[in-house]
Amino acid sequence: MVAKENEQDVGIDKQFLAAPVKSAVDKFQLLPEFLKVRGLVKQHLDSFNYFVRTGMKNIVRANKEIRSTVDKNVYLRYKSVRIGEPSVVVNSVMDQLSPHRCRLSDITYAAPIYVDIEYVTESNGKKSTATKSDVIIGKMPIMLRSCCCLLYGKDEEELARLGECPLDPGGYFIVKGTEKVILIQEQLSKNRIIIDTDKKGCVQASVMSSTEARKSKTVIVMEKEKIYLSLNQFEKKVPIMAVMKAMGMESDQEVVQMLGRDPRYGALLLPSIEECASHHVYTQQEALEFLEGKVAKSRFYSASVEKEGRAMVILRDVFVANIPVRENNFRLKCMYVAVMLRRMMEAIINKDAMDDKDYVGNKRLELSGQLLSLLFEDLFKTLNEEAVKEVDAFLNKPSRSRFDFSTYITRGRITVGLERALSTGNWDVKRFRMNRKGMTQVVARLSFIGTLGMMTRIQPQFEKSRKVSGPRALQPSQWGMLCPCDTPEGEACGLVKNLALMTHVTTDQEEGPIISLCYCLGVEDLELLSGEELHAPNSYLIILNGLILGKHRRPKQFAQAMRKLRRAGKIGEFISIFVNEKQHCLYIASDGGRVCRPLVIADRGVSRIKEHHMKELKDGMRNFDSFLREGLIEYLDVNEENNALIALYEGEATIDTTHIEIEPFTILGVCAGLIPFPHHNQSPRNTYQCAMGKQAMGNIAYNQLCRMDTLIYLLVYPQRPLLTTRTIELVGYDKLGAGQNATVAVMSYSGYDIEDAIVMNKSSLDRGFGRCIVMKKLAAVHQKYANNTSDRIIRPQRDGRNAEKMQILDEDGLAAPGEIIRPQDVYIYKQSPIDTKNTISGTVPESFYKDSWQTYKGPEGETAVVDRVALSTDRNDNMSITFMIRHTRRPEVGDKFSSRHGQKGVCGTIVQQEDFPFSERGICPDLIMNPHGFPSRMTVGKMIELLGGKAGVSCGRFHYGSAFGEPSGHADKVEVISETLVKHGFSYTGKDFIYSGITGMPLQAYIFMGPIYYQKLKHMVLDKMHARGSGPKVMMTRQPTEGRSRNGGLRVGEMERDCLIAYGASMLIYERLMISSDPFEVQVCRKCGLLGYYNSKLKAAICSTCKDGEKISTLKLPYACKLLFQELQSMNIVPRLQLTEA
Amino acid sequence: MDGIASYQRFPTVKIRELKDDYAKFELRNTDASIANALRRVMISEVPTVAIDLVEIEINSTVLNDEFLAHRLGLVPLTSERAMSMRFSRDCDACDGDGQCEFCSVEFHLRAKCIGDQTLDVTSKDLYSSDHTVVPVDFSDASGYENSEQRGIIIVKLRRGQELKLRAIARKGIGKDHAKWSPAATVTFMYEPAIHINQEMMESLTLDEKQSFVDSSPTKVFEIDDETHQVKIVDSEAYAYDEEVLKKAEAMGKPGLVEIYAKEDSFIFTVESTGAVKASQLVLNAIDILKQKLDAVRLSEDTVEADDQFGELGAHMRGG
Repeated sequence: MVAKENEQDVGIDKQFLAAPVKSAVDKFQLLPEFLKVRGLVKQHLDSFNYFVRTGMKNIVRANKEIRSTVDKNVYLRYKSVRIGEPSVVVNSVMDQLSPHRCRLSDITYAAPIYVDIEYVTESNGKKSTATKSDVIIGKMPIMLRSCCCLLYGKDEEELARLGECPLDPGGYFIVKGTEKVILIQEQLSKNRIIIDTDKKGCVQASVMSSTEARKSKTVIVMEKEKIYLSLNQFEKKVPIMAVMKAMGMESDQEVVQMLGRDPRYGALLLPSIEECASHHVYTQQEALEFLEGKVAKSRFYSASVEKEGRAMVILRDVFVANIPVRENNFRLKCMYVAVMLRRMMEAIINKDAMDDKDYVGNKRLELSGQLLSLLFEDLFKTLNEEAVKEVDAFLNKPSRSRFDFSTYITRGRITVGLERALSTGNWDVKRFRMNRKGMTQVVARLSFIGTLGMMTRIQPQFEKSRKVSGPRALQPSQWGMLCPCDTPEGEACGLVKNLALMTHVTTDQEEGPIISLCYCLGVEDLELLSGEELHAPNSYLIILNGLILGKHRRPKQFAQAMRKLRRAGKIGEFISIFVNEKQHCLYIASDGGRVCRPLVIADRGVSRIKEHHMKELKDGMRNFDSFLREGLIEYLDVNEENNALIALYEGEATIDTTHIEIEPFTILGVCAGLIPFPHHNQSPRNTYQCAMGKQAMGNIAYNQLCRMDTLIYLLVYPQRPLLTTRTIELVGYDKLGAGQNATVAVMSYSGYDIEDAIVMNKSSLDRGFGRCIVMKKLAAVHQKYANNTSDRIIRPQRDGRNAEKMQILDEDGLAAPGEIIRPQDVYIYKQSPIDTKNTISGTVPESFYKDSWQTYKGPEGETAVVDRVALSTDRNDNMSITFMIRHTRRPEVGDKFSSRHGQKGVCGTIVQQEDFPFSERGICPDLIMNPHGFPSRMTVGKMIELLGGKAGVSCGRFHYGSAFGEPSGHADKVEVISETLVKHGFSYTGKDFIYSGITGMPLQAYIFMGPIYYQKLKHMVLDKMHARGSGPKVMMTRQPTEGRSRNGGLRVGEMERDCLIAYGASMLIYERLMISSDPFEVQVCRKCGLLGYYNSKLKAAICSTCKDGEKISTLKLPYACKLLFQELQSMNIVPRLQLTEA
Repeated sequence: MDGIASYQRFPTVKIRELKDDYAKFELRNTDASIANALRRVMISEVPTVAIDLVEIEINSTVLNDEFLAHRLGLVPLTSERAMSMRFSRDCDACDGDGQCEFCSVEFHLRAKCIGDQTLDVTSKDLYSSDHTVVPVDFSDASGYENSEQRGIIIVKLRRGQELKLRAIARKGIGKDHAKWSPAATVTFMYEPAIHINQEMMESLTLDEKQSFVDSSPTKVFEIDDETHQVKIVDSEAYAYDEEVLKKAEAMGKPGLVEIYAKEDSFIFTVESTGAVKASQLVLNAIDILKQKLDAVRLSEDTVEADDQFGELGAHMRGG
């Protein structure tokens, strides 16, 4: 509004110029547009789409021809590859698949991979070529909402018809009915020089090379002032100068020139040159011979390699493999090594030049597309290899009839391989020496937010046990890219990260056009440069994806030009151009896996986005892409951010500002975005809430009642938070909330509220507060056996012994939906054959079947309801029957609740409404929280939430509490909230004058009271409480079983025992450790000290070793002790007991 | 009790406002214990009738059986008759089955959506076997007919969905479950006594007076247009927030106003759910309170009273 007035002022006079600062354009509207275009899990979808559209085609093109090794004329050529619609073959009819159907009937959501082929057939000895199109070589699991998915581009209504929730983000796979996400994997970037120190503190430069053909790690390390190359293929470290000479760089002078004129570099290299000379290595020939002696012996090399010289081959193919060597021209590689050496020396001279491994710009995120493409490449190659092998075997057979190459590529290998990798999460790709576990996880469907959070999670590369703080610490460079709050507590703290709201992860872009563009813009080709020119001052090296293209004399202008081209859309929007002034380098990156985010471009501090742009956006004349196309917005990756000066708000922009943030709250991720006023909270509290939000019960999805998950927690009356944030609206938490707005009084009450316990109002619980539904899946299989017999489900017994247990069964032997089920009730009356091995002929008698009914095992004394019964066929063609059992629970003492500020607590007591305090307006809180929860936690955000909520219910407007939202109007200010409160007759402090419900007298203090959004967490006493007197015992040791599920005993552990010893309660120890555990009476022979036995026939105890019953004593031992003696005896150790009179 | 000074007081009630579901009255000459007892009884011990047992025959709606049962239970039913009904647990006629006319009322609900439009199943669709116990009608008595106001929504049906059930309503009290509580809001406040020190007030300028008046979040004071005197408009609007006292202190005039709570007079606000008329609710509460006291008095002269009440019993007998 203010801006509009200002615009009108333009015409008037200088007043406009005198106006202090131009008010900021509200750029918030861009966010929903961004999410509309990119979506919350766009990184997964983009990656998968790239794989399907480009990656897969490249793989097939690279391996397009397979030829028999026996007959070179027999071949098969792939002409094209594509993915069809998700479908399944039922009774040899192709049937379209919907994701929901896959979930319900435990099948894989996969689409056939079609190829068009040209191949050789042979019939009657005559060879001919044939073509075939749409040959299915396997099935590809399809990511939901990707371009191959049935749901792609569908609107809400169509999604509803398919049984899909429109708010579900997709980005996961359905494998055998379970939803699986491939977690984002974090890795160090490939093909980049990283300077750091090794364990001994020596400076080293390392490159992880990764090309399609080979992966290798090259390390150049400075040890005792001399520089060495360390490579797996060499037994020991080899002097770098020898390597340079072996690559044809015979002149020491040129090497020194390549490092630059500064004498310091020459001086640092001198010891290495001297060492090389001491080995009498002067020429390339000498160097190669020298290196030949260092090559690791055990390796097998083919004849051609032997001829060429192993050292040569290693230097060409393994040593910094990402730098291509054309026609044995090693010049590029030499230059590259020189740059590595120079960077290393810079780091030695100036420690600041060291690279930071934890820097986000040095990391790459590996997404599902890349991982699948590795897997697919391996499987595809294996398929081809095996096809060739089979064809060779067939062709070698002397008598053969028809031959058709195309029949050898339709095996299920690809289908099975992909499915297995996704369902187990094990990426076992021998070809790429890859052996990773736990790559996929089952999508957590506990809460909607938990599901979303899973899609943005980043799995670390490091093992969790490492005791270093570096990788766990918050990196300044993760601003805006990774959420600073959302990380788990405990061992994975700081390693597992989450993407921020606006983060985008790039996919690979073609390098070819960029390279030629660079040369057009004045990059001097590296091959044409002399060593001296390499590091000439005022010229910058141009490095594209780790490959040195050449150098440029006017790098600033070059960068400007490149960026202009990017903004104009002439080159890809995710290409980053980063000028590193320290290193005199200009890095261009187009590789996949970089994290980047959109920013508003500013010219000399003035935002390019004007009010009219936003208006056009509002009117629907624009979308996010048009902003991008017109160069108002661009994506910056972490490296390029270093070249930008980014203002948080338009008003703060100075003349040097190049970019302006879209919205500051986008630095947080999805989970942290739920917290109102997180910037007022102590930081760990936000982290706690991020973990707890995922355990909160509420709505899972719109299709929650149609799902058949093993466990679903739902809230009966979920609400939308009174105090929302913009993120909540963007992700749809207001539609699928997980909590309720409770009126909270912050006061102490009854003493049942210590240690964060909360006191709850019984009437509120009666009316539905915190009421939840727990649904469990029970399954039974109608098994078929090898001898043609099968289980049978039969009519229940209506009278007799078991009639009571079978009350809820229908006439078909299955529990009827809607029936109330109690523990020990039979829900399926099934009988199995006694004999499942031998074939039976004739009619089978009734006695052939034995009962194998299944009974419901739930908490004793609670009743549940059969919600649904579903019949389906499983993979082995058996009928499987699935029951959903529903249990509605009201909160009870011990259930866990939490606000959105990391403040969890259990219900301490439930109090009648009349005993609850009340205000003279008649307001009575739903729960009471102890004020001791505040001082040490410092969750000021919770207090503001209470104020804002109170103002919200009084004035009828949802208040906002977005992170850092006060300046931009996305969070209400406390002053404004207080004003609203006063206007509606409340105290500006949010405190109320309260009467005690017990005495009717006013309380001595004003009570801080108002609505706070409370989450009910999945931990409930009903699922946890456990106690036992006597009960089941383990067969072997005769000690009580362990664990609640086995009705186990409660262990008196070491520490408890220590307490009892210290206290001197010897009889108690005796009772706990023996009498109540595993007492056993043994006969001990005093002569030999071994255990005897009691012969009940002779009514006498006998020692079996002495064959004597004379000197036998009885005593009590723990059974485990007797077991130990026997086990010791069994391994030839004789434990003898020596008894004394007690 | 003879010979001992009686503490008996004679409370008075003055009704300020009385509507079907709303009552505001003053209770004077008594203390907080009595006022609070009355409030507590109104919330938790005045009996009403509410649906307690639901037998579902057909339910193809989106809400599950327990969900519906819970919602039905919370529907307020007109319960004028509740005081004379029996609790089904001590009903002789049906041996505590809770199925007889003395202790229960049967309801039927049957709805099926056949059209394309969403059908709202509301409390109006509940058919009662007893015309005295029906779902509370919230349609405005003032006359204007609002077609959208069709009672309390129980569930919404889409085409083809059906709901058929039988429900039994029983008598109960709010202590057992909030659905039996006839009170939506029962609250009282101490009547404030406000004294303005007009002399001191006159020493203030008009602006200062205005800021004094504005300092109260509720509208308690006002400046008279003619005399420019600060006067009390609504002393009961005062929420004991002490804002004006703080303001007076900040202005350097402590004692500008004096406010204290009259400890023997209470202003009650009673809002009913509609199950019982607000006035009846108060009367019923008094009856029940009396009955409770009777229970104490009955055991007054028995020996057990001493065991039962200990010192309290002795005290009550004037010991």
